[in-house]
Amino acid sequence: MDPSSGIQEPFDLIRLSLSERVFVKLRGDREITGILHAYDGHMNLILSDVEETIMLVDVEGAPEGQVNVAKRKMEMLFVRGDGVILVSPPSRT
Amino acid sequence: MSTLQGYVDRRVLLILQDGRAIVGTMAGFDQKSNVVLSDSKERVYSLEEGVEEIPLGLYLVKGDMIVLIGEIDEAIDSSVDLSTIRAEPIPPIRY
Amino acid sequence: MLIFSVFKTLTDQQVTVELKNDLSITGVLKSVDQFLNIRLDNIKVSDEARHPHMMDVKNCFIRGSVVRYVQLSAENVDTQLLEDATRREAMNQVKR
Repeated sequence: MDPSSGIQEPFDLIRLSLSERVFVKLRGDREITGILHAYDGHMNLILSDVEETIMLVDVEGAPEGQVNVAKRKMEMLFVRGDGVILVSPPSRT
Repeated sequence: MSTLQGYVDRRVLLILQDGRAIVGTMAGFDQKSNVVLSDSKERVYSLEEGVEEIPLGLYLVKGDMIVLIGEIDEAIDSSVDLSTIRAEPIPPIRY
Repeated sequence: MLIFSVFKTLTDQQVTVELKNDLSITGVLKSVDQFLNIRLDNIKVSDEARHPHMMDVKNCFIRGSVVRYVQLSAENVDTQLLEDATRREAMNQVKR
């Protein structure tokens, strides 16, 4: 483990992402990006300036296998931790 | 779980994990939010016909199954003709 | 505990709770408990034409476990305070 980065355990990665834009993958084919302001041990999150992307598979009328996406923006969002699959720190936009 | 106290003896709507909607009078509850309803009915929604009410009588609903408990405004409720309402059933909870 | 405290500071504010059955309910946050069960007053369901099931409901209790999101108004949230509190709680976790 790299002691200089201050990352010893997974949650450190999230702690160091506070006030940064993060990418979050959620259950139900959803992804969000937003600025992380709070989290807890359940991975409940509070983010601002959020953009959510929902992948819609098998939309009626769409060609087989095509993925449609729906996007929406929210200014401040609480995300319940049980839906979180991964939290990824900035770098990727 | 202080928050259910205000619903005792009131007409309530329960929405369950599988999407069912049940109305009844809240006879009681416990700290696990298990709920006993008296004079309860399931409201079955469909797009083909109006809402069908199926009498269930005295009903115990396990807390784990409950999504939402709503207090029914009886004035609004009695002014609504359920037979004219067509809607898709509420989707089940998907984790 | 941190998130519970945050929600307590949001009582009497308008929020939109999105459930895992895709129902979205806007109302005034009246109370919250440690399971993040939520009491909303003066509720309105988004897309009421599609979801008329709750048109006769004026207030409700929502089980925390079925919540997907809660949309908040940014002006009601002090983000600096949140980050400081989160760091403090993270420190305490390490010490334990």
